[in-house]
Amino acid sequence: MLGSVQVPSNLEAAFDALANARSSAILAGGTVLMPGVNTKVSSLDTLVSIRRLGLSGIQVEGHRATVGATTTLDEFGGDPRLSVLGDVIESIASPPIRNMATVAGNLFAAQPNGDLAVAFLALDAEVTIASRTGARTAPVAEIFARGVEHGEIVTTVAFDLPTSDTWFYAKAMRRKMNSAAVVSVAAVVTVADGLVRTARIALGAVAPRPVRALSVEAALIGRPLDVASVSAAAALAARDTDPFTDAYASAWYRARVLPVHIRRALIGA
Amino acid sequence: MTSRIVGLHVNQTFQELIVRPGVTLLQLLRDQLSLTATKRGCEDGWCGACTVIVDGKPVRSCLIPAETLENADVRTLEGVTPEGGLSALQEAMVENFATQCGFCNSGMLMVATALLAENPSPTSEEVIRAISGNVCRCTGYHPIVRAIMDAAAKMRSAETMAAE
Repeated sequence: MLGSVQVPSNLEAAFDALANARSSAILAGGTVLMPGVNTKVSSLDTLVSIRRLGLSGIQVEGHRATVGATTTLDEFGGDPRLSVLGDVIESIASPPIRNMATVAGNLFAAQPNGDLAVAFLALDAEVTIASRTGARTAPVAEIFARGVEHGEIVTTVAFDLPTSDTWFYAKAMRRKMNSAAVVSVAAVVTVADGLVRTARIALGAVAPRPVRALSVEAALIGRPLDVASVSAAAALAARDTDPFTDAYASAWYRARVLPVHIRRALIGA
Repeated sequence: MTSRIVGLHVNQTFQELIVRPGVTLLQLLRDQLSLTATKRGCEDGWCGACTVIVDGKPVRSCLIPAETLENADVRTLEGVTPEGGLSALQEAMVENFATQCGFCNSGMLMVATALLAENPSPTSEEVIRAISGNVCRCTGYHPIVRAIMDAAAKMRSAETMAAE
């Protein structure tokens, strides 16, 4: 039974609130946490809101974007400097949810939600985490693997902005809008002299957390970005994934359509 | 389990309310302020029936603990309904048969109100995007989209007439 909702106005007070609670969780947009509170399945004693810590806002210096933890998906999607990632945001839930859900919260949304987290994996985003003992940074993959410690608060997510010719994204959905992913594919691929030089491909909804398609990446390097080589590389995706069954799709279906959506993401066909 | 006093604006009236831990904006509106236009649907964020406008943006009132709303500006359907009548959006909902059981109307009207405040001339695609998070099990959505487009056109021509 929820006993307290704290709304600290600085990080120190937030660390205190987390330390003093019996069982607490960090509340950002509430779109993941609050359904559990409403249905009383959550055993949390304390929620600590981080919405008044001044952690929202977007900075872009050159190619580097640094996004505050509590920046909403709507603010992210509406920023013209981040427009290359606009499709990712538009593919997530619906406008009222995007007005609430936060960029850092998306890192902790269980698959098949968390499409922005999949994009961040492709972008090799760097997460800054504050705690009483100071700040540390971690690659976003490490956050997926290990989460953060109790008492730690994500403050920013930073990444190099891709250009529109190096950025690729596709999400298979049950409907054209407002559906979690059947599968999602995000990638940064550079091509020089007609051949793939670098490839970072992240997949969503085909494992308990976002995963890199390392086999697909390796098979693409040195090849042209065309139907034949992309299809051959995408066929290897099963090696990198562990699909699950849920209300959106069966594990079998996800595995079956994943290569198709890798191909659609990379060459649009 | 200590209650707290939260001050916020509801339909342009400042209210100081005693809230128990974890009480959501939805519970505050319906149970404490008797503003029952806002509907309790899934309490999961999915259905959109509880949508209200907070600080200019449509959001799910069922997912917001009241404690986090100090000084917020909350607008509900009661706050956008003219005294003794219907708004242009509400009239268009009636005329286009966009109301059947009525349960989704309040949420639909709030996302439509926010949409038209931001974009007075939406395309039907923009209307569909705006209402994409609101479930209606009666109408099949097209009457709702037509109603919002009609209301937008009427509101634009009323603006033009007022300007002339």
